[in-house]
Amino acid sequence: MKSLSKTSLRLALLAAIVVLGAANALAQTPRIQTSQLDALAVKASQTVDVNIDEGLMQIAKNFLSNKDADEAKVKELVNGLKGIYVKSFEFETEGQFSAADLEGIRVQLRNSAWSRIVNVSSKKEGSVEVYLMHSGSQISGLALLAVAAKEITVVNIIGPVDLAKLSELEGQFGIPALDIEQPKAKRKN
Amino acid sequence: MNIDSDYLWDKTGEPDPEIQQLEEILGALRYQPRPLRIPEEIQIRRTRGFFRDLGPRLAIAATIAMLLVGLGLWFALQRLQRRQSGQPTEIARQAPAVTSNPTPAAMPARDDNQKLAVSSSGSDQKLIDVPRRHRVDQSTLARNANRLRDEAVENTQVANAREGAAAKDQLMLALRVASAKWTFAQKKTQSTNPRDLIHNQHKIG
Repeated sequence: MKSLSKTSLRLALLAAIVVLGAANALAQTPRIQTSQLDALAVKASQTVDVNIDEGLMQIAKNFLSNKDADEAKVKELVNGLKGIYVKSFEFETEGQFSAADLEGIRVQLRNSAWSRIVNVSSKKEGSVEVYLMHSGSQISGLALLAVAAKEITVVNIIGPVDLAKLSELEGQFGIPALDIEQPKAKRKN
Repeated sequence: MNIDSDYLWDKTGEPDPEIQQLEEILGALRYQPRPLRIPEEIQIRRTRGFFRDLGPRLAIAATIAMLLVGLGLWFALQRLQRRQSGQPTEIARQAPAVTSNPTPAAMPARDDNQKLAVSSSGSDQKLIDVPRRHRVDQSTLARNANRLRDEAVENTQVANAREGAAAKDQLMLALRVASAKWTFAQKKTQSTNPRDLIHNQHKIG
């Protein structure tokens, strides 16, 4: 009887280790779940939902030309990436979403595997938070959460993304070059 | 009149005088061969009819028309047969991998007592007797199989091209959003008013 209870205890312990290991492995993945935001699509005036997994990425890469300089640059950027997921909602009026809607994403990003590298908050233009996940010395994932009064954007890139190359894309392929006002220098009296 | 005599039949036997008299009277009206002479007052006019003039041509045209109708019917029947025999290969066309040789499973079965398995939404399968199919020439079948294979390859290439173009568009859209937001954040950190910036560049959690 004792041996039976011991065996069952050992099995339970082993199962717990396996479950914890699996949960930890899942927590380490750079893929963040954004399905909780889907309910906002009903209220949004414009929705962008892009899900590119590794297979689709390979197909898209094959259609990027090496001869075209811009496309070659994009090809170089996406080389090694395993997925890009974008979810963006634009609303007609303010107050269509609350902080609670974003809590599910924030909880995932509070995981120790993620490190926040940028947190910009502006009263006029909202806030942008950028998180990176590292695997050794290499970036293994990026998560970007941009929240404005009438807009929510979540970007999740899986794989070693080159941030310098990502910013180089601005002004190409219809990506607008942002003209951000420089702070005015104070006049000396 | 002598009734027993055969004179009336074949002029044998004893002739009857009354008959001889009648012969003499009617003999003047006996047929005498002479050439046909058409009286001059009768004018023979050839009637010219539309159909009579075009008779041979119409016959040729009718023959050609009949041939064309026959050919049309033959092609229609061939197409119908091709459709019937093409149903099993449709399964092969839907398969993702396109092989150079048609698989035996893709070829229609030649068994006379052929049975077709039909699966419904449930798991149970029914066997239905399929009527005996018209036997198709092997070369025609091979030609059809090649044509279907070419079409399948072409369709796959078109589908791949569409999928690739759509994937590329999606990728560009995703990168457009990601780049815009990342650049916005980057420029804000470089140029923003220190009062608006929350200095939190360290790992949290």
